Amino acid sequence: MGVVMPINAEMEKKGGVVKGDVSGKSEATDLALFVRTSQEDMTGWNRERIVDALLRETYVDRDTAERISIEIEETISTGKVKTVTGPLIREMVNAKLLEYGLEQARRMHTRLGVPLYDVDQMLVHPNKENANVPHGPEATNLTLAEGIKKEYALLHVFSSDVADAHLNGDLHLHDLGFVDRPYCSGQSLEYIKKFGLNLPHALAMAGPAKHPEVLLAHMVKFAAALQSHFAGAIGWDAVNLFFAPYLEELDDKQVKQLAQMMIYEFSQQAVARGGQAIFSDINIYWEVPKHFENVPAIGPGGEYTGKTYGEYEKQAQRFAWALFDTYKEGDASGRPFFFPKPLVHITEKFFETEGHMDFLHHICDVASDKGNTYFVFDRGETAKISECCRLSFKLEASDLEDAKEPWRMRYSALQNITVNLPRLAYKADGDDTKLFSLLTEQLMLAAKGHEQKKKFIEKLMAHGENGPLSLLAMKLDGQTYLRLKKCSYLVGMVGLNELVRVHMGQEVHDSDEAMKFGLKIIAHMNILCNKMSEETGMKFVLEQTPAESTSYRFAKLDYVNYPEQSAKVLQGDFDKGEIYYTNSTLFNVGSLMNPIERVEREGLFHPLIEAGSITHIWLGEAQPDKEALANFVINIFRHTQNDQVAFSPEFTSCLDCGKTARGLSEVCSYCGSEHVDGITRITGYFTKVSSWNKGKLGELHDRYRNEGHFDGQGAVN
Amino acid sequence: MTLFTKEDCSLCGQLKQQFDLSAMNVKVEVLTQDDSDALAHLAWHSLVETARKSLPILVLDDSSTIADYKNIEHHLAARADQHGVSFSITPGGQGCESGSCSF
Repeated sequence: MGVVMPINAEMEKKGGVVKGDVSGKSEATDLALFVRTSQEDMTGWNRERIVDALLRETYVDRDTAERISIEIEETISTGKVKTVTGPLIREMVNAKLLEYGLEQARRMHTRLGVPLYDVDQMLVHPNKENANVPHGPEATNLTLAEGIKKEYALLHVFSSDVADAHLNGDLHLHDLGFVDRPYCSGQSLEYIKKFGLNLPHALAMAGPAKHPEVLLAHMVKFAAALQSHFAGAIGWDAVNLFFAPYLEELDDKQVKQLAQMMIYEFSQQAVARGGQAIFSDINIYWEVPKHFENVPAIGPGGEYTGKTYGEYEKQAQRFAWALFDTYKEGDASGRPFFFPKPLVHITEKFFETEGHMDFLHHICDVASDKGNTYFVFDRGETAKISECCRLSFKLEASDLEDAKEPWRMRYSALQNITVNLPRLAYKADGDDTKLFSLLTEQLMLAAKGHEQKKKFIEKLMAHGENGPLSLLAMKLDGQTYLRLKKCSYLVGMVGLNELVRVHMGQEVHDSDEAMKFGLKIIAHMNILCNKMSEETGMKFVLEQTPAESTSYRFAKLDYVNYPEQSAKVLQGDFDKGEIYYTNSTLFNVGSLMNPIERVEREGLFHPLIEAGSITHIWLGEAQPDKEALANFVINIFRHTQNDQVAFSPEFTSCLDCGKTARGLSEVCSYCGSEHVDGITRITGYFTKVSSWNKGKLGELHDRYRNEGHFDGQGAVN
Repeated sequence: MTLFTKEDCSLCGQLKQQFDLSAMNVKVEVLTQDDSDALAHLAWHSLVETARKSLPILVLDDSSTIADYKNIEHHLAARADQHGVSFSITPGGQGCESGSCSF
């Protein structure tokens, strides 16, 4: 913005109001004023540029635009500055629009950007919002871009009521900085096995891989490309099974090498988007899932091998075993790998498959030692793809039909919106009717936000392969890579425990009465999601929000806006500012509770939360034996409704001697150095404690460590 | 004792015809798309997934559950005897004629 232009010497002023020539013609002035423009040049003043911008970007009429430009020119001419910036002029125009009462025009004319102070803070301070984002030039690029896209989203994608609900903390619209892409995704390796690495606008195209190492390379590169098109996790289904046709010629040592390569490739990918590791999940099966048993297998070169996947059970098992051998070893410093997260499906067929107890002991050994294993429970005929922190896509009849051509099995949640539950209880002030009415209002607003995001993504997708989402619009199998009709829309929740505490005076796990009330809240949300799905044709589903930053954000906002009420229920350390709400439907992390009781009772909520739930068992320094954990896992599968369980040990990593010790400590137990960092699971993944936000640090301090609960006989005390 | 049912579930309707459930002190919980109390009650008994597969479901006083129709009928008959309530056992009752015997 801005062109050399002397201020109009003939401009006259009457009665305090500038009356300029409103003909729209540029006029000369004797003022030597320069404008620093956003096109990286320095140019002279041109009042007409203001008029042009107002006419181009808003619905203001020409006379008003001329008048405003003249008034701005007058203001500037009375100052003694020699140089102004484009952004300053724009803000002055915005102030005039406000004066004139032209609020809509002001919104349309707004400039998105970041204050100098904030940029300085970002460049020199670590990111604390998402522990998966390291600090570095790429990371700050990401943060700055996210900042602008967040502003864009709240001004231009979402209506003001939805945006305001986010800003005031009634709702949280996740990943607003990635508003122009879907949220999380579940992928099929079969896509690249069949079509090769053939991405729109790529400089080179690769045919289907002929060797396992090449397939792995394609997988990693495709994951990086997908990371640029999704906000969150990239999950891969049945990875060990889909690799199996490539493994027949490999001996065990070579299979182990491939497993190592896969885990190191994903865990060291912190060089991609914004210096951020790819949030990657690999779904692993010991058995061949029923829906893949009779599916023709694709092998080297994208050719059918003439066998079905049912015939590759042993190869798939070899690879699964080798992957967990690698997880057990940890990285070169003995630390647990953060990514890819291994999600092992425990099914009825698992227990019917030869060798399952050995494998169960193997993965429990890893769970106890390094914590990597996620146990995903698919009971009865349930089949699902899991990813992200706990998200899962349940396979419906049409999906199981797609399984015959597994490359079609691509799933995505387009967006996640979380409801601040404790705030509803503050507002309801003990009134049941009001509480459920407020909850309904918030869910309807969340649905409105989802519809707006859907429209926005549809608009981007409509540009096809020449648009901004070209990768998602590619049609190698005849349909767009992102199957919009299959997308789900997540509704999350934070602080059920605190809602119940405000409303009933006790925590959700304190009594049967409190539990039943908590279940009623989630049942109400479930029912509303189903109703809204029927009405709109969109698939609204509940998900336990990981709430890595949301529980902290809601807590901070409520502490400011509802200080008296929130102070009674907020968790954490107020003096240190380490306050938080309990995640989703989880129980108080600090409550002294037998792990099986926690798994069983938290699991009562899980069938109502169809897009994924998890129970965390914090181990601290405890290292239960594998038999004890295996029996525990079997009991969970057989006797509870729990969806997913993870066991989380803690580690101290020395930044001086490089060694890793069990437990969180201020000093290295090997060399005595204080230059150490903690490692444990923040929400649905492992990371370094030094990167956690204050809310999560408060939670870490409060966590009850289940030490002494698992005895050597396999029982749980 | 609670019997979880649904309006258009023919097997549920059949049980209601055979037994005077209120006289037997059996609570009937009707699952609908609007009733969060009933759904929460179902979840409390860990029966959401079971109900998605089949209805009716009987929850006994000791919190154990029965989802098999003939077994439910058998337990309700015993309960009716205890309460001195007459009932009728009709043949069949195995198939879901309405096709809606699940939640």
